[in-house]
Amino acid sequence: MTCTAAGHDTHPLLERVEVVRNDRVAEGVGLLVLRAPRIAATVQPGQFVHVRIAADADFILRRPFSVHRASAGAVEILYQVLGRGTRELSMRAAGDVMDAIGPLGSGWRVPEGTVHALLVAGGLGAAPLGMLAEVLAARGVAVSVAQGAPTAERLVARDLFESVARRVEVATDDGSAGERGFVTVVSERLLAADRPDMVFVCGPEAMARAVAAQAAAAGVACQVSLERLMACGIGACLSCVVTTTSGRKRACVDGPVFDAGEVCWDGTEVPPRH
Amino acid sequence: MEQKSRPAISASPGSATVDLSVEIAGLVLRNPVMTASGTFASGREFAGFVDLSRLGALVTKGVSSDPWSGNESPRIAETSSGMLNSIGLQNPGVEAFCERDLAWLAGQDVPVVVNVSGHTVADYAAVVERLERERGVAAYEVNISCPNLDAGGMAFGTACAPAAEVTRAVRAVTKRPVIVKLSPNVTDIAEIARAVEAAGADAVSLINTLLGMAIDARTRRPKLARTVGGLSGPAIKPVALRMVWQVAGAVSIPVIGCGGIMTGEDAVEFLLAGASAVQVGTANFVDPGATVHVIDGIVEYCRISGISSARELIGALDT
Repeated sequence: MTCTAAGHDTHPLLERVEVVRNDRVAEGVGLLVLRAPRIAATVQPGQFVHVRIAADADFILRRPFSVHRASAGAVEILYQVLGRGTRELSMRAAGDVMDAIGPLGSGWRVPEGTVHALLVAGGLGAAPLGMLAEVLAARGVAVSVAQGAPTAERLVARDLFESVARRVEVATDDGSAGERGFVTVVSERLLAADRPDMVFVCGPEAMARAVAAQAAAAGVACQVSLERLMACGIGACLSCVVTTTSGRKRACVDGPVFDAGEVCWDGTEVPPRH
Repeated sequence: MEQKSRPAISASPGSATVDLSVEIAGLVLRNPVMTASGTFASGREFAGFVDLSRLGALVTKGVSSDPWSGNESPRIAETSSGMLNSIGLQNPGVEAFCERDLAWLAGQDVPVVVNVSGHTVADYAAVVERLERERGVAAYEVNISCPNLDAGGMAFGTACAPAAEVTRAVRAVTKRPVIVKLSPNVTDIAEIARAVEAAGADAVSLINTLLGMAIDARTRRPKLARTVGGLSGPAIKPVALRMVWQVAGAVSIPVIGCGGIMTGEDAVEFLLAGASAVQVGTANFVDPGATVHVIDGIVEYCRISGISSARELIGALDT
């Protein structure tokens, strides 16, 4: 039995959402608060929203964003300014209206009886772990967080993690906070020290893969949230496929959260009969 | 967004006075708006956003005889006013399609056009022969224009002889309407259209995607795993309109226009260029309700223009 699988049973919907706040939280990183009562009412940790940032721009596709937190009719999104869409998003101000499809995807699964969870966040990978940390803490699950980022400033959501987790240990590329180097050093240590019964990972794929290998070596179940380029977001276009031990799955509906054990990390597979 | 609301006729401002129905190869469609293959799966994913019974027809994702796993990722790249894709016709094969998709579609009140793909001429015929055993197939759309396959696909659509050969092979095994989907990646699309008409096609649909490429200058790598892919979206609409206009003037079978349609007015432009119906593709990714918005937009255009039947628009370009 899982408690966070409600996303499977609720239909995504298209909702007009209004910007409540759009704040710069670090170099190139923004926190967007959207008034989205219908999405906020059903979203589960690890699910995402598919946002149409501009209706008349020369970039046409929606952009998928993990829901970082949800409360009182609003959802929060952490985003990094990387291209046309996110640059445009960073210019949206309170009162601006967009539309969003959501909640989408299959989020984190928390098995009954989970006692101690380790969350491993790399960079913006902290985004889908925020709401999860809150839900786990509220359920009485002990939470440890290993968080990595290029700099101390970009340890986004660190305050949230520190407010609900039993311990938060960090690593930065430049050593401006915590350990200098990769978060995988921290996750390895916390895996051994805290003996969690579930590891939840989101970050760059090489990091997620390394953490998944650590969890497997420690005999601990592990889930990863994967990022893919996406067009429709609702399972039709087959742009966002992830190669798994049972064939290609869609990150938008079958994921973005996958059991680490089913992910074929090098993307190779034997195509079925062809 | 409104869902599942279906007023009396075609649902929208002043619709009671506008007849949207069109006929394609003996099929009477309630309106000229179809989905474009590969952008709507088999409709299930869109059922929460669109009342499928409002569509003129639903064209399925391409189906092959065996399961195809498609291409490596990344499979898409966004470009100015459009996108490139190299999905590679990933599909579960015709058996699974019949069990899962066709069975579900049977419960929907919408004409189903099954898009058929193959690596060889025999593949195409085999898929159609299997589908002949099923009810609930209104027509076939033969895809001789997918740019994302190493064998088959577009290779059949870029020369007259193989295009005609595939058409004849499908024609030989069915009495249902056969629509052939044409590639824009040719020197003279009218010549291909005439070849498939002579080989027994009941209609042609065009255009499939334009072969294109995107490069990440920073990494010096192609943005698609397969390097090249098919360009779609508003960026290709002028090319599509030109080709529809050319083909409509070259054949006597109906033309179904497709390429960058986002609004009702875009659809009207294709009708004016000579299309008897249109397909909405990439717009479905932008707005899952796009098909219905296009239908409503056509009604609105007709109402404002004082036109009582959408058929009056077909080929009515004023030159």
